[in-house]
Amino acid sequence: MDNNKKAQSSALLALTGAALALPGIAGKAHAAAPVSEPVLSYHATRYSEARLDSDKHLGGDSERYEIDTHQLGFASAIGKQTDIQLDLMVESMSGASPWYVQPGANNEPVQAMSGASIKEERVDLQSRFNRFVNTETVASLVLGYSDEDDYSAANIGFEFEKTLPQNQLTVTAGMGYSDDELEPTQGTTAVSVTSAEKDSLSAFVGLGFILNARTAVQTSLSITDQEGFLSDPYKLAYIASLANPLVSDNRPNDRRQWVWLTKFRHYVPSVNAAVHADYRYFDDDWDIESHTLELGWYQNLGNTLRVDSVLRYYSQTAAYFYAPFYLSPRSDGLASSDYRLSPYGALSLRLRVVKSLGPWQLSAQWEGYEAKASHSLKKVDVESPGLVEFNTFSIGFDRVF
Amino acid sequence: MTKPDSHSSDHVYESISFHAMGGPCELKLYAPTRGAVQAAADAAIAEVQRIEKSYSRYRDDSIISAINNAAGKNFTAVDEETAALLDYAHAAFEQSDGLFDITSGVLRGAWDFKSGVLPSQKRVSALRQKVGWQKVEWRPPNIRLQQAGMELDFGGFGKEYAADAAARVCKEQGIEHGLVELGGDIHVIGPHPDGSPWRVGLRDPREPEKAIHIISVRQGGLASSGDYERFMVVEGRRYCHILNPTTGWPVTEALAAVSVLAPLCLIAGTGATVAMLKGEQRGQEWLAALGLPHMWVTSTGELGGSLVAAGR
Repeated sequence: MDNNKKAQSSALLALTGAALALPGIAGKAHAAAPVSEPVLSYHATRYSEARLDSDKHLGGDSERYEIDTHQLGFASAIGKQTDIQLDLMVESMSGASPWYVQPGANNEPVQAMSGASIKEERVDLQSRFNRFVNTETVASLVLGYSDEDDYSAANIGFEFEKTLPQNQLTVTAGMGYSDDELEPTQGTTAVSVTSAEKDSLSAFVGLGFILNARTAVQTSLSITDQEGFLSDPYKLAYIASLANPLVSDNRPNDRRQWVWLTKFRHYVPSVNAAVHADYRYFDDDWDIESHTLELGWYQNLGNTLRVDSVLRYYSQTAAYFYAPFYLSPRSDGLASSDYRLSPYGALSLRLRVVKSLGPWQLSAQWEGYEAKASHSLKKVDVESPGLVEFNTFSIGFDRVF
Repeated sequence: MTKPDSHSSDHVYESISFHAMGGPCELKLYAPTRGAVQAAADAAIAEVQRIEKSYSRYRDDSIISAINNAAGKNFTAVDEETAALLDYAHAAFEQSDGLFDITSGVLRGAWDFKSGVLPSQKRVSALRQKVGWQKVEWRPPNIRLQQAGMELDFGGFGKEYAADAAARVCKEQGIEHGLVELGGDIHVIGPHPDGSPWRVGLRDPREPEKAIHIISVRQGGLASSGDYERFMVVEGRRYCHILNPTTGWPVTEALAAVSVLAPLCLIAGTGATVAMLKGEQRGQEWLAALGLPHMWVTSTGELGGSLVAAGR
């Protein structure tokens, strides 16, 4: 009987152990709650742009940007109803960047690069405080600061999230403000201003639906108003009719941007994988309109290994004042030959491997990106010679305590 | 069950009835304001409905239907909560020596307790081939029922789990005094505001509208099982709805009723169900060894168990 009693008490232990793992009992399921265990993460990324083709550039250095990024993240609960997330990023950039574009021998645009002297470091700290008002409501405060030699920015944001469990629906809304100060360094390239300011105000609303146990859809709409110095002080534009054809990059002093983003997630149990499909529509009052379609396949291999393959397609139209170079000045005085305002399309492929080992999660990722006029949805007459092609490689870990 | 009709000065008391999990349900809650009671009740009812929706075998879109429809075919991957429930079912199967088996629901196809007619042994045997947790390939997070026609049924513990989950939701909403009852399965959140326990009547298996014993509960889960819920008498012999998965037949020489008190209603329910399945003698032994407060009634009306001995 004693032996029996011992065996049966182990029955109670076994049942209790299994019961306490249940989310409905432990309170993990469908409840907004602060992070339960502190998480520390670190990721290192190297971004390298490909050299420009020799027939597309003129002078300067054809070796383009390299960026090394170190990201350190920490998340932890503070008390029962609050958690904090801190993300510190340190970036070191080196290499040459596109300076201006001028007509070549056959009037084809040729890129002039800045000297290789650019070497900068940027430090960015973002913090986020989430207050779990109850299991369905989260109010968040976002504070951030970013600093580099010639640039500093401070941002603040408020977000609100409400889950309506009966409808498997989540509503989010938020506002953000950022104040950027620019003090261009007088380096080897002349700059157009000695100090300037930019303000950004943004707002968003979003809806998330859980359609069934395997399918979720999120959609959001955001608007951003920027005001101030929106030009690039390091870039020049080329106006052929002028005696001195190189002029400062000059863009409008305000810009309104709209983004509509929809994300679709579906889990395919038969192959233990998830499909992600995201579409982003962007439109602004500089006449840039863009479409981004991202398709991802997240394949689980056993319980601890995942391989993600993500293909992204991007296409944009040009800003109304953009030209590779100008024959004569525009009546509004605007001028920019920045490739980021040019018409183009881009393709990128991202591969990632994520491995869980107890409290550790290790990841390695590679991305290849190529921008080209021929990838654009609409036919492009003249391709910007500054379009980039880059690779990134990153490794990192997450550790739960 | 006693129903306090007064409330202390700083607490509002409300009893909220609703229908879920195939039966009448009730929340008895104390909170500082009527709004707080209502908010907690809304959240708790939503939680019960969420669990019911997720695990009902009657809903085509439930995960259970997805697993059952793939029986004999492919693996189905399940979410974290379903995985934890399957792990629990696996633990209960092992600890009960195979008597607690969430694949035994198909046997209901042979037993119509309203008909007064016994099924043929051939029919029972055929269905019994479709029963057995050992025929389930559970490789978290993937599950596959090996044979076509096999079915999972969370009816044996889903209601108890929902009672615990609803109580947790109430606690998260700040409720400290009250209880959740889902069709006879109870989770007491905490005693009345003055500290006095809830008084709960346990059914007399032969006169189910009457209480055979009243116990006091301050906190935790209380679940009961008995041969009185659905049964038929054929040629003087009682056949109840509690089917033994190894024979396909109703339990014989079983206890008439069992109630178990545990920190969680889920564990109380499993303890009571397994005690019924074990039969009169071994059921009593199982309860004594489990070490949880309990009460049993034999088919001849004899009362026993630690809850009775303690005079609670």
